[in-house]
Amino acid sequence: MAEDAGRAALGREALAYADALHNLARYLTQNDADAEDLVQETYARALRASSRFEPGTNLKAWLFTILRNTFVSLYRKRRGSPVVSGLDTVEPVGLDSADQGWLLDDVELDRLRRVVAEEIAKALGALSEDARTVVLLDLEGLTEGEVAQVMGCAVGTVKSRLARARAALRLALRDYAR
Amino acid sequence: MSCRDVRLHLVDHLRGRLSDALDLEVRAHLAGCPACQRAAAVEAALTEALEERLPQYPASVALKRRLAVEWARPSVETDTGEAAPTAWTTAASAGSPAVGAHGRRLRRALLPALAAAIVLLALVPLARLWPGRAGSPAAGPRLVAEVVTDHLRVLASQHPLDVQSGDAHQVRPWFAGRLDFAPAVAFDGDAEFPLRGGALGYVFDRKAAVLVYGHRLHTITLLVFPAAGLEWPQGSPRTVGASAGVATTERGYAVLLWRQGPLAYALVSDVDLATLGRLADRIGGTAS
Repeated sequence: MAEDAGRAALGREALAYADALHNLARYLTQNDADAEDLVQETYARALRASSRFEPGTNLKAWLFTILRNTFVSLYRKRRGSPVVSGLDTVEPVGLDSADQGWLLDDVELDRLRRVVAEEIAKALGALSEDARTVVLLDLEGLTEGEVAQVMGCAVGTVKSRLARARAALRLALRDYAR
Repeated sequence: MSCRDVRLHLVDHLRGRLSDALDLEVRAHLAGCPACQRAAAVEAALTEALEERLPQYPASVALKRRLAVEWARPSVETDTGEAAPTAWTTAASAGSPAVGAHGRRLRRALLPALAAAIVLLALVPLARLWPGRAGSPAAGPRLVAEVVTDHLRVLASQHPLDVQSGDAHQVRPWFAGRLDFAPAVAFDGDAEFPLRGGALGYVFDRKAAVLVYGHRLHTITLLVFPAAGLEWPQGSPRTVGASAGVATTERGYAVLLWRQGPLAYALVSDVDLATLGRLADRIGGTAS
């Protein structure tokens, strides 16, 4: 009985993250039907694994971890492409993310401030799936440690992926702004 | 510190994630480097574009209801002793391309329960389904847990606000007659923390004024309620105005509590404590 009550309480708290999970799922799958199914499968898996959730830890990060693992194990496998590459996966020769994408003058900076939603979405969509995930998890307020937990990698890897992804976004948006 | 080093730390600097020493180094460099100042402006503009203009795809009401129904049911694991694969999992492992098959099958299977849930959700506010509503004034840690749960109710509810307005002169009068105290909140919202609206809530056995502010994509809940009889929680001391408060975290949420006269104030959000503190200072009237 107590276990059921605990599970129900966890479920109610987990539902508070449905919007955030669906947003990431939508950007990963890039269509509404798959995003809904991915979120539903994520909650189904979380429900089955609810006894393994450690109270006091970050439930949101735990759910994102399940969602990403579900996406990797099911969606990518079914689609037959383990990784979708994007603008951020290739390091331009002679440059790294610290040097990339800085706008040349205030006019370009001003244009960046006026890019529209479709352009930002297009730039994000051109990133690799992992880069998209890191950017969106960062926007959700997860710490780099929590993002590393979700992605199953080191914190340093998160830092470099995020820097590279933001550099790719800056470059793409700079092109749109011209 | 070189320009290259500074630029690698810019995002963390702007998010307040650097150690004090490293942050000082970055600030010192920025003060004398116009190129890195521009880089910081670019990072800020990119963050602003992502936070304010990137299209958001929230879960549909129908999906949320399905999830609520599914979670409320006795689990497959409990019934059979093992976790049965869902249709989606099965389809995937069999190599089926039917991505949406699980959703459609589940929808059909859950239709009767879904209909009942829709009626239930229409008649009863989600908050009323949650445990912990009744109860006596309690120990400090439970107060923190209670205000976090109240914040989660705001996040989970389809209609969390009884009065939706960014105008404090509409929101504050709305509480008149609905509470047996006047929630003194000096802050009307601004560009960084816009006021979204208000609602009635409860903290344990007493009514609370619920004011909801935004901060970029985040929701911040302010609860104002009578403090009498509540045991105050432990936490890091944090002064708000002339009041002594405490800052703590619970289930990944930042919580800032303080008392002002007979009233208690609680701010809860998934933003960091520093951001929450800036809002508290405005509410407490110590920041412009």
